[in-house]
Amino acid sequence: MRPKHAPRVIDQGSVWILVAVPSIWAGHFLLSYWIAAIWCAKLPAGASLAEIRWVIAGLGALSIAAIAGLGVIAVRRYGGEFLVFEEITESSERGRDRFIGHVTLLLCGLSVMAVLFTVIPGLVIGQC
Amino acid sequence: MTDEIKLSDLPPPEPYDKARDEAQRARLMKVWEAPKGWRKISAVNNSLVGKWYLLVSFGFFTFAGILALMMRAQLAVPNNDLFSQELYNQLFTLHGTAMMFLFAVPIFEAVAILILPEILGARDLPFPRLSAFGFWCFVIGGVFVCGSIFFGVAPDGGWFMYAPLSSNPDYSGLGTDIWLLGLSFIEVSSIAAAVELIVGVLKSRPPGMRLNLMPLYCWYVLVVAGMILFAFPPLIAGDLLLEMERAFGWAFFDVDRGGDPILWQHLFWIFGHPEVYIVFLPSIALVATILPTFAGRPMVGHSWIVLSAIGVAFLSFGLWVHHMFTTGLPEISLGFFSAASEAVAVPTGIQIFCFIATMLVAKVRPSVPMLFAGGALAIFVFGGLTGVMVALVPFDWQAHDTHFVVAHLHYTLIGGMLFPLFAGIHYWYPFVTERMFSIRTAKWSFWLLFVGFNIAFLPMHWTGVMGMPRRVWTYDLADGWGLLNMISTIGAFVFAAGFAVLAANVLWPRGRQAPVARNVWNAGTMEWSEEIPGKPWGVRSIPYIHTRYPLWEQPDLIGQVDRGEWFLPDAEEGERELIVTDILDARPLFVQRVGGPSYLTLGSAGCLGTVFILATFHLWALTLIFFAGFVGFTLYWLWTGTARIPATLEKPVGRGLVLPTYAQGNRSSGWWAVFITMTGDMTAFMGLVFSYFYYWTAVPAFLPEAARLPVFGWLVAGLAGVLAGWGLTLLSRQVLRQGRRGLAMVTLAGSVVPSALGLGGFVWAAQAAGLDPTRTSFDAMVWMLVLWLGLHLGLNWVMQLYVTARIYAGHCTPRYCADHYNLTLYGHFVVITGLTTFGLLALFPMLMGVFG
Repeated sequence: MRPKHAPRVIDQGSVWILVAVPSIWAGHFLLSYWIAAIWCAKLPAGASLAEIRWVIAGLGALSIAAIAGLGVIAVRRYGGEFLVFEEITESSERGRDRFIGHVTLLLCGLSVMAVLFTVIPGLVIGQC
Repeated sequence: MTDEIKLSDLPPPEPYDKARDEAQRARLMKVWEAPKGWRKISAVNNSLVGKWYLLVSFGFFTFAGILALMMRAQLAVPNNDLFSQELYNQLFTLHGTAMMFLFAVPIFEAVAILILPEILGARDLPFPRLSAFGFWCFVIGGVFVCGSIFFGVAPDGGWFMYAPLSSNPDYSGLGTDIWLLGLSFIEVSSIAAAVELIVGVLKSRPPGMRLNLMPLYCWYVLVVAGMILFAFPPLIAGDLLLEMERAFGWAFFDVDRGGDPILWQHLFWIFGHPEVYIVFLPSIALVATILPTFAGRPMVGHSWIVLSAIGVAFLSFGLWVHHMFTTGLPEISLGFFSAASEAVAVPTGIQIFCFIATMLVAKVRPSVPMLFAGGALAIFVFGGLTGVMVALVPFDWQAHDTHFVVAHLHYTLIGGMLFPLFAGIHYWYPFVTERMFSIRTAKWSFWLLFVGFNIAFLPMHWTGVMGMPRRVWTYDLADGWGLLNMISTIGAFVFAAGFAVLAANVLWPRGRQAPVARNVWNAGTMEWSEEIPGKPWGVRSIPYIHTRYPLWEQPDLIGQVDRGEWFLPDAEEGERELIVTDILDARPLFVQRVGGPSYLTLGSAGCLGTVFILATFHLWALTLIFFAGFVGFTLYWLWTGTARIPATLEKPVGRGLVLPTYAQGNRSSGWWAVFITMTGDMTAFMGLVFSYFYYWTAVPAFLPEAARLPVFGWLVAGLAGVLAGWGLTLLSRQVLRQGRRGLAMVTLAGSVVPSALGLGGFVWAAQAAGLDPTRTSFDAMVWMLVLWLGLHLGLNWVMQLYVTARIYAGHCTPRYCADHYNLTLYGHFVVITGLTTFGLLALFPMLMGVFG
């Protein structure tokens, strides 16, 4: 017996969704930080952040929508109902797929929370 | 679903034959045995290199601990003059530096090199010589940095070496150069280990160990090695900027010349905060491996722990500014980082809750490793809670740079890193030494450490809140910190006594004692399948794994492995062989041959170490000579040891499975190693790009007037040259595949010419505009980007000529040319570097209207 082609990591393995979900948080975080930092650096001290506030909140909403979109893929990969303490120990391609779906789903929850955390200072702090 | 070989339906093994078994064992022994006597230093076996790594790391730990005791002795009473202030500055700098760079990170690599292959049921890691190279780099760099204190020139600017104190040679002497170059060198070894471990986890898993069956330890190793790849390079970029300013006066951190010292803080902490988690996660991984053994059941919430490892890895990169809350950044920036600092407590907490849940649903067997793990949880949770306090900006403004922070960081590091590590040391002690430690002594050491630690560090919360700054040399009786400091000092010595007892217990010679039983703790992971007495080959045959805890869930697995019923039970060709599997399902892909004992790695590490040491003293001619030596050793190592075309292109590996013995492109481990290394390299480059934009935001009038920009036309010519060199490299691979070797060699060697002209274009663009790196930060930044591009193109030329020679010598043929695949992959990254540099030097100023 000789080995055949292994499944492709990106599309067939869908490992990318594992990385993409927290990357959306990272993208939102960095964008919020950069936009606010550049705004405050280029305007005089004490400048208003009113415009920036809505940019950050809007980006947050977009990020959460994107995470939700990936969450749908994760649910499909995972399949079936969501059990909190599920142990996916089945030795098959399907088992591996479900596992990645499960972990991604959990990461979606964490990332949404982290995005919301980032939005809060954007809404609360009014001046540079 | 894809088509795969059903490993569960393979033909049965041949009946056991004692004579065959013995012959196979003899051949395996011959191949895997490490050299004897003094030649042992050329060994590359993970079991030996891992053990050396561990012992040397603990050596540095002991050294740094003695420095800490000296500090505590100095602080025991008010107005003490036991040590001079100069020495005290060196003590705390070297204590922090050695603990972080020479102990906390290397110990992760040490433990992983030692146990990861065995947990994976593999013979060794995919690049054993790289591990040995990394180890020797670490030893040389560590001895150089630590040794400086005996000559009174140890670094003294604190372990984070803030500019402008560190960037101005008038305020900081040779110690800072030793710190910068010594640590950059050690970072090289950390990145080497990270590459090794990532490829190890992704490609060296035993057949059948799919991602969902991979032990938690491997998930943590993967995540942490990935973090090293993104965290260390920005510091290397920062080190480069700082050393260029110190050695050649380039204007990066000097405010008068448009520099900004805060940039150093950004670059340092983009490394420094993930570093804390790089240190913490591997130790938590040890607890996650130990706990199921003593609970006698699988970990509760396996997916949740994977989630928290990945979640912490990402979030930890959004925390760096919480070390800079008092630098005057806009409040909204502080708010973002404070929010992320609070958010990271969530995934961190999830792992702790999973541990507690596992202990609740099972009856935990009391044992020494569990005692240390329990102590770890108690201390770490305390430190985590004070972490939530200092993550809040208003509180941090009060506590910043006081002993409160000292207390907090020691609670997290000793609770989150040291105690779990001690748990691991006791847990794997029988695995490494095949003997059992003294349980009574181990309990003594635990209680001395636990009680001593709390006596030493708990009072620092109060001294901190009472206003005692960190790093202060001495204080006055009237400050009212005397009693608490005396208590801390007593605690520190009790803690040290605990460590002495532990070290004595671990190092005590037990040669005459009876060996332990096999799988002495009744664990479920593969490393405990090791034979006693141990063999140098790791596993007798590489098994098919289809469960998470194979020793519990796969009956008679140890017997099958021992009888050689699984893969690669023999070494007929006299080669060290591993099975490389695929990333997702661990389907067997090919047999990889790895290098055996070699002095080349030692020579290469020795020369590179000497380069860094000589550069510290600005002895440039000698530096160049040793650099040439390093290049020579490395090229010879690669030429003789890698990508050899085997005599037979496939071989039966047992149970009817036939695997190729050669791989190229993204099937091979080497390609992945290049990809991963270059990802790290790209991160360092991003550190420079970040610096460029940082100056643009923070320094008014960073972009000069049009006349003082690099000349646009020359930049275009430069980019064209770089692209042409890359295109010719790609073309040479095409023609090689068509079998036209001569033309392939001509195009490949010829690609150096346009590439060199391209670099000339970039250099001339800066030169013609009269850019002087010692004048302004913009000029310095332009030259730095060009220098970075030049270094990468230089390496590219060496590689292009090397592969040309490989084609000429017949090591690279139209069908088998792994080297060329790796070269083109490297080339893609260089082109991205070139395009980005062009964008920053030519397009960005234009976009900002400078040309207009």
